[in-house]
Amino acid sequence: MLARGKDAETLLALVAETLRAEIMPGLAADKRYTAAMMASALDVAARAIAVEEEAPTLALLDAFYDDGDGTLARLSSDIRAGKIADTTHKDLRERLKAHLDGGAAVRNPRYSVQRERKS
Amino acid sequence: MNAKETTGRPRTLDPAGIGRLTPWLAPTIGAQDVTVVTAELLAGGAVQENWRIDVDVTGGPHQGAHAWVLRTDAAARLDMSLDRVAEFRCIEAAHAAGVTVAAPIAACADAGVLGAPFSIQALVTGNAQARRIVRDPNLSEYGEALAHALGGELARIHAIRPADGVLPFLPIPMYNPNRLLVAALRRGLDGASEARPALEYILSWLDAHAPEPRAIGLVHGDFRTGNYMVDGGRLTAILDWEFCHWGDPREDIGWFIARCWRFGNDAKVAGGIARFAALLDGYNAVAREPVTAGEVQYFEALAAAKWATISLLQGDRFVKGGERSLELALTGLMPPEMEVDALDVIDRIEKGRG
Repeated sequence: MLARGKDAETLLALVAETLRAEIMPGLAADKRYTAAMMASALDVAARAIAVEEEAPTLALLDAFYDDGDGTLARLSSDIRAGKIADTTHKDLRERLKAHLDGGAAVRNPRYSVQRERKS
Repeated sequence: MNAKETTGRPRTLDPAGIGRLTPWLAPTIGAQDVTVVTAELLAGGAVQENWRIDVDVTGGPHQGAHAWVLRTDAAARLDMSLDRVAEFRCIEAAHAAGVTVAAPIAACADAGVLGAPFSIQALVTGNAQARRIVRDPNLSEYGEALAHALGGELARIHAIRPADGVLPFLPIPMYNPNRLLVAALRRGLDGASEARPALEYILSWLDAHAPEPRAIGLVHGDFRTGNYMVDGGRLTAILDWEFCHWGDPREDIGWFIARCWRFGNDAKVAGGIARFAALLDGYNAVAREPVTAGEVQYFEALAAAKWATISLLQGDRFVKGGERSLELALTGLMPPEMEVDALDVIDRIEKGRG
């Protein structure tokens, strides 16, 4: 029986690998793009299982609000209203980037690696 | 007449009814008669359909045998895109300005002729697939020259001005077009399924730092690798004019160099094919108002914000709209990358200011 977490992640990665190695080469060109998207979606799902989603969001919100008072919608609204800005929080951009890193890595891990190399 | 399909998807145009084309087309192009020899649905075209038609024209300026492409308006069109006939008028204006486009032949707004509005242009050979272009083993031989040529094309597009009296159906911005674009993106974000504070910050920054345009010109609106055709390393046509608008010409340059349109070839800043300098040199060799690399940085951030917003809304068609499309679902996961891109560019600009 499958345990949650690691086993599910491994299973999805294996399905993607099989799709690419054994199914895609035999497909007509117009179906290969769809199959590539399917494999990509399976990769994304596998990585999403492994990523801790809530911690980066809580870390971001805790930087601006009392414990439990913040939401992403409230933060967005306060940024638009100018209540939270570079002038009030010098590290605002860095905090926003740190929050995004997880999401970017789930969709495209190569992107995060390339950015790390550049910085 | 032979008609065949290359895909099994739902169609706007009924190939069996394409014979209805000739009574409309012949007088429109000044011919005595037009015979459609074959009609074939071409692959690609997410928003519209493209049909290759081989025709024999009797009389008039197009006398002879031709291979043309007939493009229909698809049933589902993006809100922000021009309809087929309006797009055709933009292509005509670009053609008249010396831009490399497939020669415009005719356009029909009457859905009664073929079942949907359509336009016809000359068939152009070449490849427009972005990933094939940026991974072409011969790219190093022609990439710089191609980017230089594309820069010149952009400058010719931007030289088309509302004061010339062309394209009167395109609204002329009465306010800073860069701030208007940011406002449009904010409206999009307001309708999205999730709050995105990073994108909110980026849009606020772009609004506060929006430069005034030096001139209002025709902006292609989707000028990027994937929307031009290359044959043997040579540019054969600029494609996909449905997002044309009057605006700040630098918007197109920022869009072309945005990382999201380099298709993994990130070191080649100009669309994944060449150095940015090659594109800019080509642009400035033709442009009325030369552009510097520094001033384009704002538009690179704007491009990332625009694509982040569009991909968020595309994803919402799956998340909220119930469209069970894998492509839409995957597109909806892209905003974090674009937001990080935009924040990186803003960092660069702010550090440059010291």
